[in-house]
Amino acid sequence: MLWALLALFVLYPLGAMFARIFRDDTGFGIAGALATLADANQVRAFWNSLLLGTLVGVLGTVAGFVFAFSAARTKLPRWMATAIDAAVLLPLVSPPFTAAIAMIFSFGPRGLITYELLGIKGFTVYGLGSTLFSEALTYFPIAYLTLRPILAAIDSNIEGMALSLGASRWRVFRTVTLPLCIPGIANAFLLLFAASLADFATPLILAGNSFPVLPTQAYLQITGLFDLRGGAVLSFALLVPALAVFALQRYWVSRRSYVTVTGKGAGQAPFDSAAPSVRALLLAACAALTLAIVYLYALLLYASVVVALGANHALTAQHYKVIFTEGLKAIRDTLIIAGCAMPLGGLYGILLGYLVAKRNFPGRGAMELVSMVNYALPGTIVGIAYLIAFNDPPVELTGTALIIVACYVFRYGPTGIRATVALLQQIDRSLEEASQGLGASSSTTFRRVTLPLILPAFFAGLGVVFIRSMTAISATIFLVSIGWTLITVKILDNMTELSLGPAAAFSVLVVAIVFAVMAAISWMLSLLRAPGAAPVPSLLGG
Amino acid sequence: MNVLKLALLCMLLGALPARAAETVNAYSIWPENWARPLFEEFEKATGIKVNFVRFSSGEALARVIAEKNNPRVDVLFGGPVETHSAGIKEGIFESYRPPSFDKLAPRFRHPEGQWVAIADDPLVFMSNNKFLKDNNLKAPASWNDLLHPAYRNMLQMADARTSGTAVTRIFSVLEVNGRDENKAFDYLKKLRPNVQLYTKSGGGGTLPVGLGQAGAGIFFIVDALDTKAKGYDVSISFPQEGIGTAAEAIALLKGAKNPVQGRKLIDWASSPAMQGLFAKHKINFVPAHPDVAVEASLAEVLRGAKIFPIDAEYAGANRKRVVERWIGEVLNAKP
Repeated sequence: MLWALLALFVLYPLGAMFARIFRDDTGFGIAGALATLADANQVRAFWNSLLLGTLVGVLGTVAGFVFAFSAARTKLPRWMATAIDAAVLLPLVSPPFTAAIAMIFSFGPRGLITYELLGIKGFTVYGLGSTLFSEALTYFPIAYLTLRPILAAIDSNIEGMALSLGASRWRVFRTVTLPLCIPGIANAFLLLFAASLADFATPLILAGNSFPVLPTQAYLQITGLFDLRGGAVLSFALLVPALAVFALQRYWVSRRSYVTVTGKGAGQAPFDSAAPSVRALLLAACAALTLAIVYLYALLLYASVVVALGANHALTAQHYKVIFTEGLKAIRDTLIIAGCAMPLGGLYGILLGYLVAKRNFPGRGAMELVSMVNYALPGTIVGIAYLIAFNDPPVELTGTALIIVACYVFRYGPTGIRATVALLQQIDRSLEEASQGLGASSSTTFRRVTLPLILPAFFAGLGVVFIRSMTAISATIFLVSIGWTLITVKILDNMTELSLGPAAAFSVLVVAIVFAVMAAISWMLSLLRAPGAAPVPSLLGG
Repeated sequence: MNVLKLALLCMLLGALPARAAETVNAYSIWPENWARPLFEEFEKATGIKVNFVRFSSGEALARVIAEKNNPRVDVLFGGPVETHSAGIKEGIFESYRPPSFDKLAPRFRHPEGQWVAIADDPLVFMSNNKFLKDNNLKAPASWNDLLHPAYRNMLQMADARTSGTAVTRIFSVLEVNGRDENKAFDYLKKLRPNVQLYTKSGGGGTLPVGLGQAGAGIFFIVDALDTKAKGYDVSISFPQEGIGTAAEAIALLKGAKNPVQGRKLIDWASSPAMQGLFAKHKINFVPAHPDVAVEASLAEVLRGAKIFPIDAEYAGANRKRVVERWIGEVLNAKP
């Protein structure tokens, strides 16, 4: 069943696109495509992409780990944990272009901070630095969402034991906590690396002309030079490093055992793994990053209530009136689509994650690989592939909401898959064996034992799919239709019309909706939790 | 499993086809705030409702090409002619000559009617007034004014790899240099250090110039006047040597499901019926139809400006080579 879905929504579109672009009047040829690849500028862009992806992966994972560690291991006061969770969500919710515009407004040659505040003249915002900063800021929440359940699931008694055996806190962290997080760290790095490889919007605005990257080149090749074939080839070049990192992390992670959740755990004694000074340092780091995030979004909020940012700062509610009249259809469509994609994406994530982590069947590796493809490809290509594949019979989906939902599920579901895999690697097989030994069927075991244990991963997947459904544009710009449109497309329109106000107002609305939904999920989660069960770390601090 | 039920319900809802009436479907390259009022006027005049989605020219063309075996829309509305020229090679258009065809100047129509022009859009210089004042400059009135050291790293304009605006700009420079390519490229190379950013889309630099992040740039007049209308303090000027202009076109798609209504939309858009409404809806395009007068305030901006069309034959024959040379010698030149 899953294979059928993967074949239909991952392999078939890519195959259809290949068939279309490489078979033309002159027969089947890839000579032209290879020429595109050999171009010196594209080669440079390829290495730039790898550099950017690696840096974003490292930086984002570190930031995500710091946040996750602070939230799960330093006994924060409850309000602070909630504040961190909320701040972490913000960058994920950044709709295309608006955050980049806030960056330029602040750090541009005449920026609010660089010029007005610090008096630096001729500061260049465009380049590797700002692209890296912006991407790391946007994607580190994925690392946070992946790592936090892992950290929370490590039985703190293990760390407590190490401490009572005389190890220092640092030694405990280095030899116990950190190594146990390796599946999570490796997965987080993979997700970030792939996300950066696929992101074209941020570099489009911030990378400038001196730092070309491949996804942007591919996008420009298609929309600027009208060269679909060249763009597709460039995109597939991106799959090579993404899959290499994927293979590497599997090899690295699979060499050891990370089981910490066994049947033997008693009640967890809360463990304070950071010394007071370290704790202060961690909190300061979190606070600094949180402040930077809050600043960028405060600017966005400001832009939504003034007539025209940078020209006329009189307060107005006009922009909100516009989005709730002309934009109402887009809001409704987006909510329906995101509402459908969310449960499906979450379910898809844990099912596939469970299968590839816990079951042995032929083609398991291939299935895991295929599930990552849509995530690692630039959205432009995924969008066009869907368009080509589903425009004609036998599977005619163009113009429906289903095509957008499917695109979201298979493009953003992998976050849930990776989170599930990482979490399952911590769980001892004996737990399930015990359940089956006691006479439970395998489906009962899954429902009663495994499922509750991977629930945090389910909700991480749920959250990411929902958020991405609210904010993604690169693939879906090719899938929206006369019947179904999206808020992000409206934002892009407003940006091209220089209507910064409505664009900002839409963005603020998206942020508000996402927060409301996340709060609702947390609330549902707290209702679902069986009395006496271990608290499930949710997305908004419980 | 309520979740599953809900999801299934959503799928069913999503799979329902749109209802049909007397309608025409279009991809609009013109922004929604212009397309929507014009299409409402069309509905008022003919009773035909226009369903449309807005895309940038590249995205619209990529979609039309991908959908060519089973077109989802009938008309590609607006967008610089070069988009339509690229589409002809893909065989996506159906020739059609509307009644206005014979009245249009040759550069406003494809000889077989693969597309016809509905507007004209000259380039302009747009500068930030505060920037000009801070540097004691007047609005640039010559191509050479942009080489002034005060503009160093302060210009934004479009990237020729992606934007028709940029191609029109480069061919303007070629024209004012008597089509002497080496001379033109000398100028473009000298301009390079002053360019802060080559933007993906033609209008990408208007907001930075409006906000003062950039000092000046070269844009199409519609984008420049729109920036001004939004309240940004900018000046619009023309180089004394002259500057190019590009036509905006409309085309009927091959295999259109509502060809009759599609042709009616083209009849309407290529005639004074639509182009006479530009002024009413504050759309600052220059009409392509000779019988429509240029609106007074737009005429005032254009007064005295030296504007020339880019020769389609010359540009078509040299475009690829010139853009490649620009990428190699200008864009990727080491600063």
